Amino acid sequence: MTDPMLEISDLQKTFGGITALDGIDVTVDPGITGLIGPNGAGKTTLFNCISGYLAPDAGTVAFDGTDITGDRTPEIVREGLVRTFQIPRELADMTVRENLLLAPRGQSGEALTNAWFRGDEFAADERRTRKEALEMAEFFELDHLLEEPASSLSGGQRKLLELARVLLTDPEMVLLDEPLAGVNPTLEAKILDRIHELESQGLTFLFVEHDIELIMEHCDHVVVIHQGRKLTEGPPSEVRSDQRVIDAYLGEEL
Amino acid sequence: MALADFLVSLVTFIAIYGLFGLGLNVKFGFTGLIDFGHVAYFMVGGYVTAVVTMPAQITGYDGLGGYALPALLSAIPGGTVLGWLLGVAIGMLAAAFVSLLVGVPTLRLREDYLAITALGVATILNEVVLSEVWLFNGPFGIRSIHEPAAGLFPLGLGSFTVNLLVFGGLSVLVFAYATYRVANYVRHASGRQRTLAVVVALGFAAWYFVQPLIGASNAVVTLQTNLTFLFDPNAGPNGGLDYDRFFMLLSLAFLAGGYWWMQRTINSPYGRVLRAVRDDEDVPRALGKETFRYKIQALLFGSALAGAAGALYTIHIGFISPEQFGAMITFFAFASVIIGGTANNAGVVLGTAVFWAINSGTQFLNDYFPSEYAVQLSASRLILIGIILIVILYYRPEGILGEQDYDISLPGEEAANANVAGPEVGSSDASTGPEADSSAASTGPEVGSSDATGGPTVDDANGGGVDD
Repeated sequence: MTDPMLEISDLQKTFGGITALDGIDVTVDPGITGLIGPNGAGKTTLFNCISGYLAPDAGTVAFDGTDITGDRTPEIVREGLVRTFQIPRELADMTVRENLLLAPRGQSGEALTNAWFRGDEFAADERRTRKEALEMAEFFELDHLLEEPASSLSGGQRKLLELARVLLTDPEMVLLDEPLAGVNPTLEAKILDRIHELESQGLTFLFVEHDIELIMEHCDHVVVIHQGRKLTEGPPSEVRSDQRVIDAYLGEEL
Repeated sequence: MALADFLVSLVTFIAIYGLFGLGLNVKFGFTGLIDFGHVAYFMVGGYVTAVVTMPAQITGYDGLGGYALPALLSAIPGGTVLGWLLGVAIGMLAAAFVSLLVGVPTLRLREDYLAITALGVATILNEVVLSEVWLFNGPFGIRSIHEPAAGLFPLGLGSFTVNLLVFGGLSVLVFAYATYRVANYVRHASGRQRTLAVVVALGFAAWYFVQPLIGASNAVVTLQTNLTFLFDPNAGPNGGLDYDRFFMLLSLAFLAGGYWWMQRTINSPYGRVLRAVRDDEDVPRALGKETFRYKIQALLFGSALAGAAGALYTIHIGFISPEQFGAMITFFAFASVIIGGTANNAGVVLGTAVFWAINSGTQFLNDYFPSEYAVQLSASRLILIGIILIVILYYRPEGILGEQDYDISLPGEEAANANVAGPEVGSSDASTGPEADSSAASTGPEVGSSDATGGPTVDDANGGGVDD
């Protein structure tokens, strides 16, 4: 048994009178884990609390053995844990290429003094970064759009850009918030292939998705949350026949 | 005052406020920080530079200093100028330091709150300088402003003829080059931008060369005086370059330096992060960038540029007091940035020129109206600027030039670019055809070379051309 990548214990978050997370415990092992639950179950709040966008009221989050509870987002990203947004957040006024080039970590030209005084040093960095970005764009079939402003992309392409950008940060674990909604079937298959490929290279994914067939087919493990708590978890086959899951989310046995 | 003297003063103003506007552009245009207190750093830079460069024990001055840096360094050759430059550097650092004190608490605020808070802080700082006589002499201001290299001027090179030929010749070259640039631009531009360029060029010619001839006693002399604007016949025994003209060139040099520095900052991965912060701060955060640090640095950098502009401003005016640094100055700069092009360094210079040309350059119209209309005329200038601002915001909210193009130049370009671009172009070829790569190839070196040759006016033309 490998060590868990992410350990969430007794996480709580309330907004005014609404309890979004009610002492939730989730453990994510390396591989692909699906996170499902009805609308308003707390999936996005959970993501926000893990990735540092919201500070939890109580409880702990540990990533790869390090306590990251309440850390700021950039610190968490530098630890290797990144997330995508459910609604893509492309930088509309910048080109697709610039959106991608923003992602790689540790670029020397991103420090002001290097930008001023170390032109040669950051140029080498920049060349490497451009190459990485180009490869990523080719994979996601965005390479013909590199010089277009991101605002010109279609909804599906924005999802791809979001995913490409996150992968360019060279993460160890990725939180995916409905990455496939609005993506055409051939590309969807391609992205899933890529996710499996990255998984085999050691990446961990936590995956919110409403397409239950997709979750069942591609996840090693499924966590179901409901009303801010964990309802159940286990292999897909077990979860889909769990009566509580059927009542709360699926509606009927698949 | 001859029109040539007026032009010199106007260009000096444009250079100083252009530098001030560039400082605002790094905050507002590229990083999205609405700093309504920008004038505070103009004031700090002006005061601090003045105090560290002026001699001690000036009668009528009861504030801190002076520390007479130029006199201290006068032992080494060029030391007085060095001392002044050091004074400007200290003024810039002081401006940056004050903005750090303002920025740390306010930059965590949402942008509209930041705007109001910055305005408040600037007003408070102004009141402090006004009230505390021990600090910078309060309302009495500073009358002793060090003028760098003032001893060298008026600069004559020999006889009247030599001076006229050298300085007059330089002036003619300036006009010839400007005409060439404009003609070149008009040839390549199209549509509204072309019309605009023609209108502006003809307007300038009509104002500067034709209008003074109306009712002039000696048209040839008037024309010659205006054409050879760098030559002042009354400077020194044989005419020459007077201090005002030198100071115009110095201010333009500062503007060019600030412009180059800004371009270097923006055309880098650093600048890319700044723009990402502007567009949606959450995104660079989600990619691991410490966005707060970027905002602070942009604030410091912009404030330092404003400080340098402040140092030049005090020299141009020759006197400094708190009421010169009202909030209006900030809003003039905002108007200039918005007119010329937010997030466009050349646009900022252009917008500043448009703004001050309207605000000051139309003063000659006073001659054509009865003097009792002077007040109304001066008010109607601001109305005109207001109308232009509204028209621009309605029809072209990105400003005359729009956002600039970005190009991170990679040294050792040709060879390296070929390596990187080779496969890149090859692969995109398949989908987009050969046009894509030929256009990329032609814009690349063009942008690069215009950067190298430098002056903002040069880039005016190119920036617009590429835009189109």
